[in-house]
Amino acid sequence: MPKSALWYRRTAVAGLAVVALAVSGCSTKSSNDSTADPAGDDASTGSSGGPVTLKDGSSVKLALIPGGAHPYFQPWKATAELDKTEFKLGDVTFDETGEWDQSKQNNVISSLAARGFNAFGIFGVSPTDINTTFEDLKAKGFAVGSLASCPAGNTNSADFCLSTDVEAAAYKAAKATIDAIGGEGTIVHLTGNNVDSNTQRRIAGVKKAVGETGGKVTELPVVTDIDKDLQTAQKAVADLLASKGKEIKGIVTTAYNPAVAAADGVAGSKLPIKVVAIDDDAKILAGIKSGGVSATVAQNPVGQAYVGGWLLALLGSKQCTMKSPGVIVDSGSFVVTKDNVDTYDDERKTKTKELQTEFASQLSCQ
Amino acid sequence: MSAPVSETATAALQEPDQPPAQRGGKTPWWANQRIGLLVLVVLLATLFGVLRPAFFNQQLVVFPLLRDIAMFTVVGLAQLCVLSIGHMNLAVGRMAAFSMMITGISYDLWHFSLYAGLLVGLIAGAAIGALAGWVIARTGVNSFVVTLALDFLLLGLIPLVYTGLTDNAAFVTKPDGMREMRNYSLADICIGNVCGSPAVPQLALFAVIAMVVVGWIYSRTKLGRELLMTGTSVKAAELSGIPTARRVITAHAMSGCLAALAGFMLAVSTGSIKATIGEEFMLPSFLGPILGGTLLAGGFISVWGTLLGTALTSVIRKGLDLLGVGLESLNIYLGLILLVALSTDRIRTVLSERQEVRQR
Repeated sequence: MPKSALWYRRTAVAGLAVVALAVSGCSTKSSNDSTADPAGDDASTGSSGGPVTLKDGSSVKLALIPGGAHPYFQPWKATAELDKTEFKLGDVTFDETGEWDQSKQNNVISSLAARGFNAFGIFGVSPTDINTTFEDLKAKGFAVGSLASCPAGNTNSADFCLSTDVEAAAYKAAKATIDAIGGEGTIVHLTGNNVDSNTQRRIAGVKKAVGETGGKVTELPVVTDIDKDLQTAQKAVADLLASKGKEIKGIVTTAYNPAVAAADGVAGSKLPIKVVAIDDDAKILAGIKSGGVSATVAQNPVGQAYVGGWLLALLGSKQCTMKSPGVIVDSGSFVVTKDNVDTYDDERKTKTKELQTEFASQLSCQ
Repeated sequence: MSAPVSETATAALQEPDQPPAQRGGKTPWWANQRIGLLVLVVLLATLFGVLRPAFFNQQLVVFPLLRDIAMFTVVGLAQLCVLSIGHMNLAVGRMAAFSMMITGISYDLWHFSLYAGLLVGLIAGAAIGALAGWVIARTGVNSFVVTLALDFLLLGLIPLVYTGLTDNAAFVTKPDGMREMRNYSLADICIGNVCGSPAVPQLALFAVIAMVVVGWIYSRTKLGRELLMTGTSVKAAELSGIPTARRVITAHAMSGCLAALAGFMLAVSTGSIKATIGEEFMLPSFLGPILGGTLLAGGFISVWGTLLGTALTSVIRKGLDLLGVGLESLNIYLGLILLVALSTDRIRTVLSERQEVRQR
C-alpha cells in the first residue's frame, strides 16, 4: 500500500474515532447545568411616578442597531447623538450593517459587545428569531431594548419593546383609505415581505378594517414582497394599475417603497384612486400637500430612539430595573392628512413625552 | 483533504489544464493554494487582533466566528459536491429552506425530537437534490438552468406552505436540546475532567463530521473517484464504464443533503425555522470552494480549501465589523482584501511555474 494511502486511511480512522468519541464517549452538560447569569438583575429600590433623571450615564455605551439600511431609521442616527449629549453617555453608535439578515445582524451585535458597547436598542430582522438574540445578550448582562419592532408571539425577551403597533397602524391606514373613498368600493393593500410576521399583522389590520364595512368595501388580493427596493415597487404598481386601475378606488400601503411608488404611479396615471401611504418621508408629505396622497400614517422613529436611549441608559447604568421585564409599549402612529400636515409633529412630540412618563412608572430605581 | 482524479486516469485523458496541485511533487510547498490561504487567514487574524485585541474575545468574537465558519463551510461543501462533476447548484439556499420546512413541520405538527427532525430534513434535502440530478441526467439540460428553475419553484412553494401552516411565517417550536446546541461549546463536553475550549461551538462538530465524510468519499472511495472522473470528462467516464447519470444524481443528492445540514445549523444558531433560511447561501457556497481551489469545471475538489476559503471571508468580515467600518465601506474593503488575496495567490502560482521551467 502506498504511504499516502496509508496516511489517508489512518487520518480517516482517527477522524472517525474523534467523531465517535464526541458522539458517544463524552458527557454533555444538561440544560439544567446552565449557570447563565440573568442580566441587570441587581435589586433596586424605590419607584418613580414621573420621568426619571439619569444620574451617571458615563458607563453606558449605547448601540442603536436597525436590521439594515432603510430611510425609516435615518432619524435614529441623529437621535443617538442627541442621546449622547443629553444623557452624557460614554459612547453611542448607529450600526446598519446587518444587511437584513438575522445571522449578520447577530454578528454585528456580538462585535459591538466585544468593542465595549453594553446597551442595545435593536430592530430585529426576524421577529421569530430575535428573542434568541435578546436572551443571549441578557445572559451576558447587557441592557436590551426591542425598538421599532417587537418579537413575534407573546413573549418579549428584551427588557422592553418600544414599537409601532403595526396591526393598529395598518388598521388606521385602512380606515383612512375607506374614509377617503367614501365608505364603499374596492381597495388594494401593498406591503413588504410576505414571510415576515409583521407583514402578517399588517395584513390582519387591513382585513379587520375592511371586515367592519360589512361588505361595502372589498379588498383585492394583497400585493406582497414589493418593499425590496423602489424599482420593484414601481413595477408592481404599474402592473396593478394597468390591469385593475379602473376597478380600484383606493390603495393602502403599509411599507415605505410601495407607498412612494403608489403615490408616483397614481399621480402619473391620472386615475381617480385615493392613496394612503406610510411614514412621513418628504416625498409623501409633498404628495399630501399637493393632494396626490390622501393621507399617511406617520410613525415615531425619533421617539423610539430618544426614549429607548434614555431607558437603556437607566438600565445599563444599573440605576433602574424594569418592574416587569419584557413590557411592550406602542410608540404611536399618527394619521396625517392635508388638515394636520403642518401640525402632526407636535402631536408626535407630545406622545414622546407621554412615553417617558409611561415607562417611568414601569421602572424600579435606586 | 484534496482529491484529484486518479493520476492514471488523468494521464489517460490527457487533459492539458490540470491545476498545479495535481502534478504531484513538482509544485513547491509555498505555491500550494491551501497553505497560502492558511497563511493569509493567520496573518489577517493577527492583524485584526493587533488593531483590536477584542478580536480574540472567546465568547463574543471567536465563538460566533467559528459558528459562522462551520455553517458556511457546510454550505461550501454542498456546492463542492456538484462542482466536482462540473455542475452548479443555484438552488442550494432554497434546498436548505425546503428541507428545514419539512424539519419544521416535523417539530411543529409531528412533535419529533431534535435529531429525528434533523434526519427528516437531511432526507428531504437529499430527495430534492436527487430530483434535480435526475432531471439533469434525464433531460441533459444544463444544471445551471435546472437548479435555477427549481429555485424559482421552491421560491413560490415555500412561502405558500409557511403562510398556510403558521401564524408568523415561521415554525417556532423548539425541540429539547436546540437552545443548548446553539450556546454550548466544547467546554461543555468533557472526557473525565478534561473539557474542550469554550471558544469552539458544539455546532462546529457538524461541519467536522461533514468534512470527514465528504473528504473520505472523495479521497478514499470508488464513488468519489467516479464523481471526479465524471467531472473531468463525462465521455471518458462513460467509456470507462462509470454510470454517469447515476453519479450526477448522487452528487446532487449529496449537495441537497449538505444544504439541509447547513440550513439546520443556521436555524439552530438564529433560533427558529423560517422561509428565508438559505437566502444568503448562494454566493458563499461558491466563494469557499473556489477560493479553496475547487475547480468550477469539475474534476478537482478541496475540502480543506473550502474551510480555509470560508474562513478567509468570515475573518475579514468579522475584523472589519470590529474596526467599526460603516456599511458604505464594508463591502468595498471586503472586495479589495479578497482581490489582493487572490492576486497574491496568482503571483505565487506564476513564480512556482517559472521555477519549474527553470528546473527543466
